[in-house]
Amino acid sequence: MTVVIGFEGSANKIGIGIVRDGEVLSNPRRTYITPPGQGFLPRETAKHHRGVILTVLREALDEAGLKPADIDCVAYTKGPGMGAPLLTVALVARTVAQLWGKPLVGVNHCIGHIEMGRLITGANNPTVLYVSGGNTQVIAYSERRYRIFGETIDIAVGNCLDRFARVIKISNDPSPGYNIEQMAKKGKQYIELPYTVKGMDVSFSGILSYIEEMAHKMLSSGQCTAEDLCFSLQETLFSMLVEITERAMAHCGSQEVLIVGGVGCNLRLQEMMGVMCEERGAHLFATDERFCIDNGAMIAQAGWEMFRMGQVTELSDSWITQRYRTDEVEVTWRD
Amino acid sequence: MASCVKDSISDNHFELTIEVPFPSQREVSIALQSLSPDREPGTGGTIKTLSTSVSALCVKWNAVEARSLRVSVGSFLDHLALVMETIDAFGQPALQCK
Repeated sequence: MTVVIGFEGSANKIGIGIVRDGEVLSNPRRTYITPPGQGFLPRETAKHHRGVILTVLREALDEAGLKPADIDCVAYTKGPGMGAPLLTVALVARTVAQLWGKPLVGVNHCIGHIEMGRLITGANNPTVLYVSGGNTQVIAYSERRYRIFGETIDIAVGNCLDRFARVIKISNDPSPGYNIEQMAKKGKQYIELPYTVKGMDVSFSGILSYIEEMAHKMLSSGQCTAEDLCFSLQETLFSMLVEITERAMAHCGSQEVLIVGGVGCNLRLQEMMGVMCEERGAHLFATDERFCIDNGAMIAQAGWEMFRMGQVTELSDSWITQRYRTDEVEVTWRD
Repeated sequence: MASCVKDSISDNHFELTIEVPFPSQREVSIALQSLSPDREPGTGGTIKTLSTSVSALCVKWNAVEARSLRVSVGSFLDHLALVMETIDAFGQPALQCK
């Protein structure tokens, strides 16, 4: 049996999870929630993580009922993400790895999402849509790499949603995306927004500027409600994502789609993707907020795969990096 | 944390040295290895060098600007405090299992 503890803190979530051979033993998490109208900044986010990380670590061990001696390997997020929060979490991972005499494994955050999604859903070789606050990519596996078929050319889809939420002061608790999703259910009117798919890639910054510009005018003149805007934004953004996912599937001849990342727990996105899959006779795999949203277990799971293939990260090579593309990682654990 | 501070200004150059004592050689080595891997952000022209004496961590800064020196020292002390707290909270079981 191989037991791996995973440390994640690349954005506003701090999570520590323990995985034993595909079984999640514990996965506690905390979220840094900012007031409505405000985003999370690196310094304050790192401060939040620093304040709770040792408590979360204690919880992860207690919930799993394990002692440090039972752990075989310490995995942590090497990147991509915000520098200060990444470093805070890496410092603790490095320190406990040394205290407990365990090897360290640096994990690519995106690979963590993919491997967690595969573990939970049992998807074998899916086309992956990775959608979160910091990333938007359509990925397929080929020849020992997760290849990026399409991606955003500016901001991530989750960033577009989060920033729209700030404009009309939607609460960030539990997350802006969740609150937009609930409001969108009450939307009655579709407001036409720009639709920007460029081949396999997407662009969201223009849509954000457009809706930022018109939101207050339309709301104050009573032309539409905040709910209508939430609905229209979701429909537009998610249609774009479904379109590029379908194109990637056609390219690869794939019959499986896996949605991962924080935006992936949006049920409307899952529903729209489901319709496309049904039309193609394909299968949709998705997970709920426990595993879609950043968590420690996903880092533990990817770390578990790497560690089983004999990969470890020396302390001197354990620097964190804000930029770390999905296709930089050699996938040694798949055929 | 006892520290020895030397601040000399010559040719618009700032230098600072601190020494942080630890209970044992093992803890110094852990702190050094946890704090060493990451480079200073490239822009400020600040160079930080970490080394150890018997049971103390020695850190030396060379900086061009006082401002970037202050930022670097401030964040280093935050990181150091986190590493020390981690050692205090999770160091014990390892000693037992050894």
